[in-house]
Amino acid sequence: MRTIPSATLIVIALLACACSAVAQGSQPQSSAQDQKVIDYLVKDWGEDYSVTTVDQAMKAVKVESSEETRFRIGSYIKAHPELHEVIRRWGWVTLVLTPEEKLIARALINAQRDGKPAPSLSELTKAVGIKEPDVKRGIAMLTRYEILTKDSKAAEYTVAPRYIKWEPRLDFVFHNLTLDGGRQFSVN
Amino acid sequence: MSLVSGKLANEKVTIDDSSPESTARIHLVFDKGKLVSQEPASTIFFMGGG
Repeated sequence: MRTIPSATLIVIALLACACSAVAQGSQPQSSAQDQKVIDYLVKDWGEDYSVTTVDQAMKAVKVESSEETRFRIGSYIKAHPELHEVIRRWGWVTLVLTPEEKLIARALINAQRDGKPAPSLSELTKAVGIKEPDVKRGIAMLTRYEILTKDSKAAEYTVAPRYIKWEPRLDFVFHNLTLDGGRQFSVN
Repeated sequence: MSLVSGKLANEKVTIDDSSPESTARIHLVFDKGKLVSQEPASTIFFMGGG
């Protein structure tokens, strides 16, 4: 049987440690940052009846605005309803989407519910009052959360059936409050 | 809504709200519990508690 010299094993071990340190050097920053946002939310939820959203929390703790970070934190909240009663009571959708994403979802849901064709991009920009790139970003986020699915044949987006059945006046709503001191939160 | 609670009734509060009917937005400004401005002007605001 061929043996590996102990010096070689030491080199391999050192390399493994070095690789691990490099990986840790790039990882902890984002996970610590995510945790900071989650900690803020868990502490803030319920204060003044708040259902504070991920984007509001990111602003509050001064985390750089990023779709990727917001999706990562939102996905964590979606997967962990045990974190807080507010998630279980109001649902993750209320907490992870921005007002624009909720309005885009509403426009698509209302059309589908009423048996009308899905609104075009330009119709969505008008309905929601935002620019086309922002509508595209919103649709992408709704698709990542599987609220929408892309119909490859018709090049249209379809709302997942469970959201069509939601109570029309209560779904995808927002009530955002800004206090003079700068604090922002949502209520339901 | 927390606006009518003692805590927020002494503050200036801006509310950005979604319409229950459509994709319209509603913008309200309250100062010490009183309505200062509303957009759109046709907004009907009910205030109460129980």
